[in-house]
Amino acid sequence: MSIIVANGLTHWFGKEVALESVDLAIDAGEHMAVLGENGSGKTTLLRILATAARPTSGRLEIMGLDALRERRRLRQRIGYVAHAPGLYPALSAAENLEFFCTLQGVSRTRAVEALALVGLAPVASRPAGLLSRGMQQRLAIARAILHDPKLLVLDEPDASLGSDGAELLAAVMLDRTVVLATHDHALANRLCQRTLTLRHGRSVGTATRLHVVR
Amino acid sequence: MTNSFAVAVAVARKDLIAEWRTRELVPALAQFVILALVIANFGFQIDSRNAPSIAPGVLWLALVFAGLVAFGRAFAAEREQASLEALMMTPASPVAIFAGKALAATLLLIGCEAVLLPALALFFGTPLSVQVVAAVLLATIGMAALGCLFAAMVARVRARELLLPLLTLPLWIPFIVAGGQAVQVAMGATGNYDQAMALLVDFDILFVVLTSLAARFVLDE
Repeated sequence: MSIIVANGLTHWFGKEVALESVDLAIDAGEHMAVLGENGSGKTTLLRILATAARPTSGRLEIMGLDALRERRRLRQRIGYVAHAPGLYPALSAAENLEFFCTLQGVSRTRAVEALALVGLAPVASRPAGLLSRGMQQRLAIARAILHDPKLLVLDEPDASLGSDGAELLAAVMLDRTVVLATHDHALANRLCQRTLTLRHGRSVGTATRLHVVR
Repeated sequence: MTNSFAVAVAVARKDLIAEWRTRELVPALAQFVILALVIANFGFQIDSRNAPSIAPGVLWLALVFAGLVAFGRAFAAEREQASLEALMMTPASPVAIFAGKALAATLLLIGCEAVLLPALALFFGTPLSVQVVAAVLLATIGMAALGCLFAAMVARVRARELLLPLLTLPLWIPFIVAGGQAVQVAMGATGNYDQAMALLVDFDILFVVLTSLAARFVLDE
């Protein structure tokens, strides 16, 4: 059963088309990588799938709900890691997550579990602004899974993650439907069953594992 | 499900903790209001006769500009940290998030007023009475609601520093007029203090309700 069904997703920034007539169907539990050069529309597509942006035109259904009308309900079920970590530098790693636990309406114990999962428990009390870029990315990933979302939308989550980044992502993606944008074809092949390649905002093909369109 | 009250308190607490640790805003604002009073003190020939008529004007000028900075920062920091999107990606009510941001900005401005009002009494020799404090606090509530709403609106706009005062100042005029009258009366001028305070309460209710209704659309889009 498809958890995401998109038809003709199009997005314009002024006179520039960022995404043009993209169709998509992703099954429950499936991991899909979105590939493409810089400016190909990956981030725009992911922001729309995460309900952070509305498409200029097109239809999008996520988990049976109209994603353009039911954004708040869907956000309880979607975890999103954006391009920028978007953390509060003056708050500690734990305080950042505890704050988002309140906003997600989940117990604060989830913050401890998420910190342990991404390997940040030893630096839980360190201000987020003093964490390395890789640690900040881990913290952003931890924030995205606080509410145990069914769908994860990850925009280049491997950026700065380090050598064990793929293992961390595999652990986080387990038992979830995932849409992941990356430049790393090897990582896409390792973590995802299917890829979608974008070029100038258009879908130029999908492929199953080991048959990535370049 | 998220509890809107808990969300608002968490957002306000987060902003206040961040301000306490970074001390970005309050010390600068306190310094600004003191400097404004020093300049006004030298700029005007202040004596015991004209102080009650000049002091309220200086008070509201300092308060308006301090408020513009305080409320502008409420959403500017979220924009700089790219954290506004993370906030909005939660199922928390945008109204609760807005209320929390407005509450924190209000408390920060009240912190600034805690410096401004005694300094005004010191420089201008005007009475620091409960009536003056009450009028300033009442005006602060409505000004914070409006200021934060417009700060949220312009947060993603390039010319935000210009747009925020352009949008906010015209709608702050009722607070400045009613608040100014209340403070003048409290400092010894003739007029109806109760009527001015009643107007401030009316404006507070009106603008807090309106901004709460508008916040959902402003933040969610």
